[in-house]
Amino acid sequence: MATVARIISAEGAQEEVITRFDIHQIIQHAGLMVSFILLAVTGLPLKFPDWAVSQWWAGVWGGIETLRATHHFAAWMMGAVALYHALYILYSVLILKKPFPVKMLPSWRDFIVFFQELGYFLGLRKERPLVDRFHWREKFDYWAIFWGMPVMGISGFIMMYPVWATKFLPGWVVPAALVAHSDEAMLALIWIFMVHIFFNHFAPGVFPLNTSIFTGKVSRERYRREHPLEYERLTGTDERKEAE
Amino acid sequence: MRGLALSLAAGFASAVVMLAFSGGQIYALDENNCLSCHGNPELTKTNGEGKEVSLYVSEEAVNTAAHRFIDCTTCHTAQPHQVNTPLTKLSLAQKCGTCHQYQYKLHLQSVHGQQLAQGNPDVATCVDCHSPTGNPHSVIRVLEYSAPAYKKNIAQTCAKCHDNEELMASYGIVEKVYESYMRSFHGKAIQLGTYEITQLDKATCTNCHGYHDIKSTRDPTSPVSGVQNLAKTCEQCHPGAGVEFARGFLGHKEASPENIPAAHYTEVFFTILLTVVVVAGAFVVVTAVVRFAINRWREE
Repeated sequence: MATVARIISAEGAQEEVITRFDIHQIIQHAGLMVSFILLAVTGLPLKFPDWAVSQWWAGVWGGIETLRATHHFAAWMMGAVALYHALYILYSVLILKKPFPVKMLPSWRDFIVFFQELGYFLGLRKERPLVDRFHWREKFDYWAIFWGMPVMGISGFIMMYPVWATKFLPGWVVPAALVAHSDEAMLALIWIFMVHIFFNHFAPGVFPLNTSIFTGKVSRERYRREHPLEYERLTGTDERKEAE
Repeated sequence: MRGLALSLAAGFASAVVMLAFSGGQIYALDENNCLSCHGNPELTKTNGEGKEVSLYVSEEAVNTAAHRFIDCTTCHTAQPHQVNTPLTKLSLAQKCGTCHQYQYKLHLQSVHGQQLAQGNPDVATCVDCHSPTGNPHSVIRVLEYSAPAYKKNIAQTCAKCHDNEELMASYGIVEKVYESYMRSFHGKAIQLGTYEITQLDKATCTNCHGYHDIKSTRDPTSPVSGVQNLAKTCEQCHPGAGVEFARGFLGHKEASPENIPAAHYTEVFFTILLTVVVVAGAFVVVTAVVRFAINRWREE
């Protein structure tokens, strides 16, 4: 859970920050990011093999064998991160007896917020909707990975060991795994580079980079702006009423 | 010891002299000076049918050909001006077969060779796959990077005929074999690999279909006819591959409701998912960009 703390910023000025992520979450995101980028740069040439840039890039890596070995390595790394995350959740719920992180579960309110925000972007509403601990995009990112991880993991595993897989599975799983792996990868890649990168690098208030997932800390001011509902709960203040 | 040093020095000196005088150019063996006339691009004759045919032999091509040290008369007989052999695809193969007997024998048993024997001019003869220009004088060794039969180039060489939709349709071959190969794991691996032979241990057309003895897929003795034969062919590179592994092969066709429907419906599902999510995401980002731009503009 988020806590309020004071840190001394690099400039020496006191800045109030709120801890948003713990060390495990920071490591999980970093591992996911590194393995995702590795998988993308080693997987894309296979998706577009006739592009000159793919052939050049495969040469840079020292040929398709290295490319493939790196892709497999990054895949195991991503699998390890997924396992780490699952164990982390289980450990905090079962051993540490922390409450189950229900705030990540999608709710009806997320759909309302989605359309309210779209209404704000389209100029139909004056205000942005108020967000609790997780924005609908953050939940979407999380659950997209939750769905994508088994899809990519299972289809990738079938393609890594096709002979073994067809020992007890029907032959069609191999071509089916290929289309699933390829399309789901493009989906993840487009979403991350179009939506995730835009809202975490280029949107006003975070440009050039929203550092919260790397440091775990968010300034009090930004927390109030971006997650007002949780901020109110944390600080016990109702900023909106005070402002009136 | 002194003798050894002297001979080393002498060897080095003679190597330098040889290199200095060689100039890097290799000339084809031309014992009878055939090229003094046939090296002229304008040399022609009028054949029995009254058609003008070129008698030109490119010296440049011959100098780099695999047979550059075999004299012209080896193939063209000791009295090259006396003979009047009909030049057909079959007679060309016969000529190669006088030395390359084993390959010629296999070729005659292949689907190409059988058609060749029946006088079909469509099918491949030796030079169609072994000469970059189709000219017998330009035949080069298989391990040269520019050789049409070099591993990296084989698919393109087969595609010269097998990617010709009209020609293939006349033989009842409707599958887009070249395109589907290039989309496959094997094709992608060959495309992304360099020309180094160590990068080319991937299957291309000939690894499954055979080369000199290539069979029609409808021939029950073809290595790819029927799932049993296919599984054995897969196993050459994929140890332990069984019949079920071979059943996963799309047969050079797209997945469809008739051809491995599960793969087809997987594709449909993921295409819809991809399209819906990407369109929704793009809409959110574009509207957000417009909104943030308007906000900024109003502030100023």
